[in-house]
Amino acid sequence: MIDSGTVTIRRRSAWTNTLIYGFLGIVALLALTPTVWVMLSSFKTGEQIFTGNGFWPSPFTTQGFVDAFTQIHLHEYMLNTLLYAGLGTVGALASAFLAAYPLARFSFRGRNALVALFSLALALPLVGLATPVFFVVRALGLFDSQIGMVIVYSALQFPFTFVVLRAFLLATPPELEEAAMIDGAGYFTTLFRVVLPLTRPALATVAVVAFVNIWNEFFFANLLLVSEENRNVQLVLAGFKSQFGFNVTGAVAGATLVMLVPICLFLILQRQVIAGLTAGAVK
Amino acid sequence: MSAFTKHRPPRSASRKRRAAAAEPAGPGGQVRDGGRARRRNHRRPAKPVAGTRIPRGMRGPVAVSLLPGLLLFGTFFLVPVFVLVATAFARWGGLDFAWVGLDNYRQMFDDPVFFKAMVNTLFYAAASVFIQVPLGVGVGMVLALRPRGWKALRTIIFIPFVISGAAYALIFSMFYNPRAGLLNNALGALGLPGDRDWLFDTATARWAVAGTFVFVIGFVVVLVMAEIASIPTEMYEAASVDGASTWQQLTRITLPLLRNVIGTAILIRLLVDIGMFDLVYILTAGGPDDATATLALYAYRAYLNGEWGYANAVGSVIIVIGLVLIVTVRRTFRIGERAL
Repeated sequence: MIDSGTVTIRRRSAWTNTLIYGFLGIVALLALTPTVWVMLSSFKTGEQIFTGNGFWPSPFTTQGFVDAFTQIHLHEYMLNTLLYAGLGTVGALASAFLAAYPLARFSFRGRNALVALFSLALALPLVGLATPVFFVVRALGLFDSQIGMVIVYSALQFPFTFVVLRAFLLATPPELEEAAMIDGAGYFTTLFRVVLPLTRPALATVAVVAFVNIWNEFFFANLLLVSEENRNVQLVLAGFKSQFGFNVTGAVAGATLVMLVPICLFLILQRQVIAGLTAGAVK
Repeated sequence: MSAFTKHRPPRSASRKRRAAAAEPAGPGGQVRDGGRARRRNHRRPAKPVAGTRIPRGMRGPVAVSLLPGLLLFGTFFLVPVFVLVATAFARWGGLDFAWVGLDNYRQMFDDPVFFKAMVNTLFYAAASVFIQVPLGVGVGMVLALRPRGWKALRTIIFIPFVISGAAYALIFSMFYNPRAGLLNNALGALGLPGDRDWLFDTATARWAVAGTFVFVIGFVVVLVMAEIASIPTEMYEAASVDGASTWQQLTRITLPLLRNVIGTAILIRLLVDIGMFDLVYILTAGGPDDATATLALYAYRAYLNGEWGYANAVGSVIIVIGLVLIVTVRRTFRIGERAL
């Protein structure tokens, strides 16, 4: 097996390699230094953070992480966010899968219009819709409610999930389902017994992306939640800034933990995240 | 199209690329890979859109199946868009309501803060288009050469992309902090003046905000790498035989073929920038003296003031700018007829 990549590498001069690693190194440094510095700061004492002395923690302490839970009660907000992201992802996936299948397989009046509408929503700057969404959510009695947030997040992740799943189904041959239907299987039986298992890889990719999106969501949480006990982690992070003086070690450690959730998900499910984003973008 | 089925770029991709070239583009963009068919090429529509009628007796179930999506979409996209369009021409604070024609738009165009917010928003968009995207394209192209350790480097460079805006705001409020921030401390250590309040000095505020996101290039990088993986290797082999250098291969072969994906990256970034809110709201609240305020923040302030009709008029401007940018970029980069 000739791998052209290795051929290229062999031909590359030392000078080219220096350029390549120099360039990549500088970019990585610029992209990551502030984040790494803050993450390291979660092991620093309050004094060291306030004076800004030294890049590395000295003395080293884990008090910040203790504070994040005992004083800021981060776990409660993490549970909220887990609820929003978990159920929101399920809601988006379920509704999008159910809609993507008929819109990928059958032709009927209004199909193209529906597909275009659902896809167009991907291109909408949603912040422009803030006030109307607030109005609708309040009219439905879902303002400042956890179940309301789950529904809103399902809706917000619906267009992306739909577009990716439909594209996947379009690229999947329909023979198996047709066989099942000819054998007398009903619509939902076919959908859940035959199509769903085949769609699992695509569902996994969109699930990770949707989960991370909801975990990181700030704008609508800020718009639609007021109660302390309903807040998600991003609202708590944003709050840290205004009360910076109050518990800086807990805030920095808390922020680190909140960031680590999507980072770890990405590191574990790298293939799915990258594939899901690429697929969503290119549609 | 379905790059997500088995996304396993370059290493084995070269094999697939050769196979792809050997049996040019079946309708499914399907590529033979050691006997296992695998869908890879994400650019080609996989199949003519299915044209089967709904089988007899399945109309009911199909309708039920569409229902949840329709409900979610109708409630949280369609209805809000209608409310937006209708109330943009009204004075509305939730309860009181009066048609005012184009008054909201007149007020907007008379407000210097609106123009500041507009200019700032376009400034951030320009920072994305002229710094972030080119940087991402460059890194993607270099990583696609597969230098030793490219996978680890891709992972590292991608990480900032999964960090939220709120977390970034916290990170950079510390990073730019005039006394304890890393930036000033590093400048001081280098013997440079290290006492500037980057975020709250009108001379630097916008650049400081742009500095938080222009290096978040992971998304562009993976898009570019996926695109390069679909370029037939023969082209590079032929170029190598003819004595083309790495640099020439990158600029003469790869770059022109990336037109489409660069357009897509710009498009996606512009949509994010047009609606830019989290970072600015948390970092500076639009200050100093609205030097960092964006259109989204401007609309949000109107909403907080109970001027909902006005907020919606601004919202409509945001959405229209978004649509205009989409059409322009698609034209400029001749992005295919795929719906976005």
